[in-house]
Amino acid sequence: MKKLTYKEKFIQMNKEAKATWIVAAICFLVWLAGGFGVYMATGNSWTICRMPAWFVLGSFGSWFAAIIGVAYLVKYVFVDFDLDEEEEEEE
Amino acid sequence: MDAVMRMMPVAVFFVALMVMGFYIQRKSADAAAKDFSNEYFIGGRSLGGFVLAMTLVATYSSVSSFLSGAGKAWETGFGWVYYATSQIVAAFLVLGVLGKKMAIIGRKTNAVTVIDVLRARYKSNLLANVCAIVIVVFFTTSMLSQFIGGAQLFAQCTGVSYVTGLIIFSVVVILYTTVGGFNAVALTDTACAIVMVVGTILLTISVITKGGGLENIMANITAASAQAAATGEGMDLLDPRASGNIPFQLYLTQWMLCGITTIGLPQSQVRCLGYKDTKSVHRAMIYGTIVVGIMMIGIHLVGTLSRGILPTIEGSTDTLIPVVIVKYMMPVLGGVTIIGPLAATMSTISSLLIAGSSAIIKDMYLHYKEEKKEEINQKTVANISFAVTAIMGIAAVVMAINPPDLIVWINMFAFGGLQTTFFWSMLFGLFWKKANTAGALLSIIGGLGAYCVTMALGIKIGSFHNIIIGMSVGLILFVIGNYFGKPIDDKTGRLFFPEKY
Repeated sequence: MKKLTYKEKFIQMNKEAKATWIVAAICFLVWLAGGFGVYMATGNSWTICRMPAWFVLGSFGSWFAAIIGVAYLVKYVFVDFDLDEEEEEEE
Repeated sequence: MDAVMRMMPVAVFFVALMVMGFYIQRKSADAAAKDFSNEYFIGGRSLGGFVLAMTLVATYSSVSSFLSGAGKAWETGFGWVYYATSQIVAAFLVLGVLGKKMAIIGRKTNAVTVIDVLRARYKSNLLANVCAIVIVVFFTTSMLSQFIGGAQLFAQCTGVSYVTGLIIFSVVVILYTTVGGFNAVALTDTACAIVMVVGTILLTISVITKGGGLENIMANITAASAQAAATGEGMDLLDPRASGNIPFQLYLTQWMLCGITTIGLPQSQVRCLGYKDTKSVHRAMIYGTIVVGIMMIGIHLVGTLSRGILPTIEGSTDTLIPVVIVKYMMPVLGGVTIIGPLAATMSTISSLLIAGSSAIIKDMYLHYKEEKKEEINQKTVANISFAVTAIMGIAAVVMAINPPDLIVWINMFAFGGLQTTFFWSMLFGLFWKKANTAGALLSIIGGLGAYCVTMALGIKIGSFHNIIIGMSVGLILFVIGNYFGKPIDDKTGRLFFPEKY
């Protein structure tokens, strides 16, 4: 648990929110490229586990991207701090 | 006999849920005696990561995915599963973006509801009351539609009549919500989410084995697609646009309505006030994303794969999942599976019910008393809260017996209407210092108005869903409104934006 002032917490939370939006954008891009992109390129000639590759890469692909992205966020971007610390030093 | 066997697991589950409700009531009795609304409406901010994730996902996934969603996937093929995938962001986005700020500010201002936070930020009774009315109206109509869906499903799978099904099932959910409050809702939601996941997995396994393996199923689907392409009847199940039935614009708006703007759903936002510490919210983001994927991709994939064993459905495609359960699953296993969609219904209703009741009690009644500086007895608050929660639930059930057209019609606006009201107001409220009361009010009234009017009159821009109109109007009016009205005062500014001082 990191000790942060009230102000520092807000700077950190703004960073976390931004990073979360970026992960969501990446999920969308993986969804778009893995689905429509692959369909445009290969149609239904490419299959994974007998199902169309555009579906597998678009759906399962963006889901995995979301899980990996969130795991990254939680490990490297998000910080543990106290949510209800009483009176801290004000500047 | 089969119907009785199918009832068994359902009955056990229902009893378990009610036990949970009463257990929570007893356990939290001491805390509730001190500060009733903090305990009843937000569970004393005690949720851990797993329960937070499960209650968020269970509330979000409603009966419509299990019935109409899966049916639609049967009809349109893999495109619909791909379409439903946009919902994978629904769990982590709200927690990652709003989660901690709402938690910190909620603790500082002792906020129990989403409207408490908005009131602390914008200092406007008008805004708070408009939001409370939006919640009460749309939550009631949403509950009604969930009750209808749940009761139909219950009737189809067990053979009891619609009204009997409705009564059995509504008594259970209203009872545990009313007696146990938010913590009971969260705990039962967790049980519901677990059975939804189990049900989805059981359904997938059953469909694949009954269909003679994926190879066989895919051969049937390919044949049906080839036939559709040749005759022009039906849809190409292997085309993401389903022979033009899912235009690309609709995909993009699905990402809005069921992905990005879901952070504007107050029933999701309120969960940000209820968790224990930062570790919980971090864990919940991971668990929530895993579970939402299993459910959303899973249940729609079941729908599409069922096409390989069920080439035709009599009547509405909404009956797909009940038909698959009754036809292809062993009774007891089928009974466990039915709980999945029933659980989806109940977990959504319970959360709407407790949040709806908090809008009346906390945002209207208690606030009114506070302004008049009247002393409030915790016991009285408790009794009124129990009564309002129960009455709201019962009102929805009574309407569900013979649903009035008007209510069904209003419900069409519920999901998007809630989002247009709470998306910009909360997001800008927490992240944009310049956002002020005039902007928020204008955005809510204008955005919601534009959304509802264009929906009602059927005015559309291309193939985009009207949520685009509601969100755009809300955004533009917010920006314009900010030029009028007073800027944020210093005290509120230091509370919400300490980094700017």
